[in-house]
Amino acid sequence: MTQEAIVLPSRRPFDLAWLHQNGIVRALGNRRIQLALAILGPILFLTVFRPLLPIQGPLQTNLREMMQPPSFQHLFGTDKMGRDLVSRTLAGVQISVFVGFAVAALALVLGLVMGTLAGFFGGIIDRVMMTITDIFLAFPSLLLAIGLVSVLGTGMVPVVLAISLSDVPRFIRLQRSLVLSLRTRAYIDAARTVKASQLWLMTRHIIPNTVAPLLVAASIAAANAILVEAGLSFLGLGIMPPAPSLGNLIRDGQSYLEQAWWISTLPGAVILLIAISLHFLSDGIRQVLDPRSHK
Amino acid sequence: MLTYSFKRLAQLFVTILGVVTLVFFTMRMIPGDPISAMAGDNLSGAALDQMREQMGLTEPLLLQYLKYLGSIAMLDFGNTVTTKLPIVQLILGALPVTVTIAVGTILLTVLISIPLGTLAAYMAHKGNRALDNIITGAAMVLDLMPSFWTSLVCLLVFSLVLGWFPASGMVSLDDPGQLLRRVTLPIVVLSMAQIATMARITRTSVLEVLNEDYVRTARSMGWSELRVLFRHALKNAALPIVTVVGLSFGNLLNGTVIVEFIFTLPGIGNLLVGGINSRDYQMVQTLILFYAMIFVVINFATDLIYRVFDPRVQF
Repeated sequence: MTQEAIVLPSRRPFDLAWLHQNGIVRALGNRRIQLALAILGPILFLTVFRPLLPIQGPLQTNLREMMQPPSFQHLFGTDKMGRDLVSRTLAGVQISVFVGFAVAALALVLGLVMGTLAGFFGGIIDRVMMTITDIFLAFPSLLLAIGLVSVLGTGMVPVVLAISLSDVPRFIRLQRSLVLSLRTRAYIDAARTVKASQLWLMTRHIIPNTVAPLLVAASIAAANAILVEAGLSFLGLGIMPPAPSLGNLIRDGQSYLEQAWWISTLPGAVILLIAISLHFLSDGIRQVLDPRSHK
Repeated sequence: MLTYSFKRLAQLFVTILGVVTLVFFTMRMIPGDPISAMAGDNLSGAALDQMREQMGLTEPLLLQYLKYLGSIAMLDFGNTVTTKLPIVQLILGALPVTVTIAVGTILLTVLISIPLGTLAAYMAHKGNRALDNIITGAAMVLDLMPSFWTSLVCLLVFSLVLGWFPASGMVSLDDPGQLLRRVTLPIVVLSMAQIATMARITRTSVLEVLNEDYVRTARSMGWSELRVLFRHALKNAALPIVTVVGLSFGNLLNGTVIVEFIFTLPGIGNLLVGGINSRDYQMVQTLILFYAMIFVVINFATDLIYRVFDPRVQF
C-alpha cells in the first residue's frame, strides 16, 4: 500500500498578505471595478485639484452672473448669488466623500471588534450585544439619524456620528454571523489542537476570513452614508450653509426649480453617479474576493 | 406556533422598552436641558425655572424615567411646547396623509413589480437574458436615486413643465379627489425605488421555484403557461416577497419624511421636521418613538406571517 503524498498548500489561501500581493492586480482586472474607477476617478481627481482649476471658489459670489444657465464658462450654471456650481459641486463631493469614508471606516472598525467578540465568545456578551443592536435596528435609518442630529446638533462630526450609529449594528450583525459560521470549521479546531490562543485564533484565523464581506458591506455603507448626509442637509439638519454640501446645493435650488432647473438637478446627478459607482465597486470587490464567483 | 409567538412577543416588548429607554436618555443628553435649548435667549432665569418645574425636569432622572414609562403606557405623550396641543392629537391628524402615501406606494409597487419580476423570471427561465439584464440594471439605478432629487426632477417635469399635478397648495382630507391629486406624484417617486428592488426579489424567488419538480408536474398536466406561472410558481414564491415588503417598510418610512417635506404634505414627517426646526424636543421624541414602533410592529407581523404561511418552518 502506497502512502499518498500530502501536498501542503504553500500559503494559507486567505492570508492578508496574499490579499495585498495579488488582490490589487486581480481587482484592477475586474470589469465592475474598472467601471467604478472610470466614474469615481475623474470626479475625485477634479475634487482634489479643484483649487487649481480655472473656476471661481465655491463660496465666491458674482452678482453680475446670477442664475446663469449652464454654459462653457459655468458648466453647471450659477446660483442665486452668482456662485459657480461646478466649483460648489466639487466642494460638496469633498464633504460627501469624507462623510462616506468616515462612516464606513467607523462602522467597519466598531462592527469588526464588537461583532467578533459577540460571535466568538457567545453567551452573555452575545445576548447583550444582540439586544442592543435590535434596539438600534428598530429605527428606520434616516429617522435614527434625524433624531440623533436633533440632539447632537448640526455639522460634520454630529452627522458622521449619527449616520454611523445606524450602520454599526448592521456591521456587528454581519461580523457576528460570519464569525459564527467560521468558528466551527475544521481548520479552527486544528488550530486549537496545537494550542493556539484565543487572541491568535481571532486575529489570525477568523478576522482575515471576514475581511472580504466586510469590505463589500463597507462600500455600500459609504454610498448609503453619502445619500443620508445629502438627505439630512437637504432637510436643513445636516451640514450648515454656506458650506456647499451636495444636499445643501439641492435645497438651495428647490425654490428656483422653475427659473433655474440646473441648481438642484445637476449636483443631484453627481450624487447618483457616486452612489452607483460605489455599488459597482462593492460588487467588484465581492467578485474578486469570493473564490466561488466566476463572473 | 403559540409558544413561538409568545416568545417573539416578549422579544418585541423588550425591544420596545429598549427603544423608549434609548429615546428618553438620548433626549436628556442635550447639552443644558431641553428647556433652555427650546427657549433660546428669550426667557429669564425665573421663567425657565418655572417651566422646568412644570415639566418635572427638577426631579431625579430615574423618577422622570419611570414617570415617562408610566405616561407612555397610558398613551399620554404630553403637549407640544410651542402650541400646547396634545401631541397625540397632532399625530392622529397628520397620520391619514402619511398612511395614504405609504399604502399607495405599497399598492403601486406590488401591482407593477410582481408581474414585471415574474415576467423577467419567466424570460430568464426560457433563456432570454435581455429583459432580465434591463430589470437588474434599472433596479440598481432606481434604488440609488436619492428620493429628494427624484422628487425635484419629477416636480420639475410633471408639475412645472407639463402641469399635470399641482406642485403645492392646501390638502384637505375631506376632499379625496384633491388629496389623490396631491399624493400621486409622491407615491410615484417613492414607488420608483421600491418597484426596482421588489421586481428583482420577485424575479429571484420565482426563478428558483420554476426549477422545482411540482412546476414541471403542473406543466406536464397540460396547464397553460400563464396558469403555471401565476397559480403554481408565483404562489409558492410569494413568501420571500412578503418578507421583503415588510423589510423595505423602513426605507418607505424614510422616504415619506422626504416627500412630505418637498411636496409640503401635512403628514407626520413634516411634523417631525417642523418639530426639530422649532426645537420642540417633546414632539421630536414622540415622533421618533412613533416611527420606531410602526417599524418594529410591521417587522414583527411580517415574521409571524412568514411562519404561519410557510409549513416548512419548524418550531
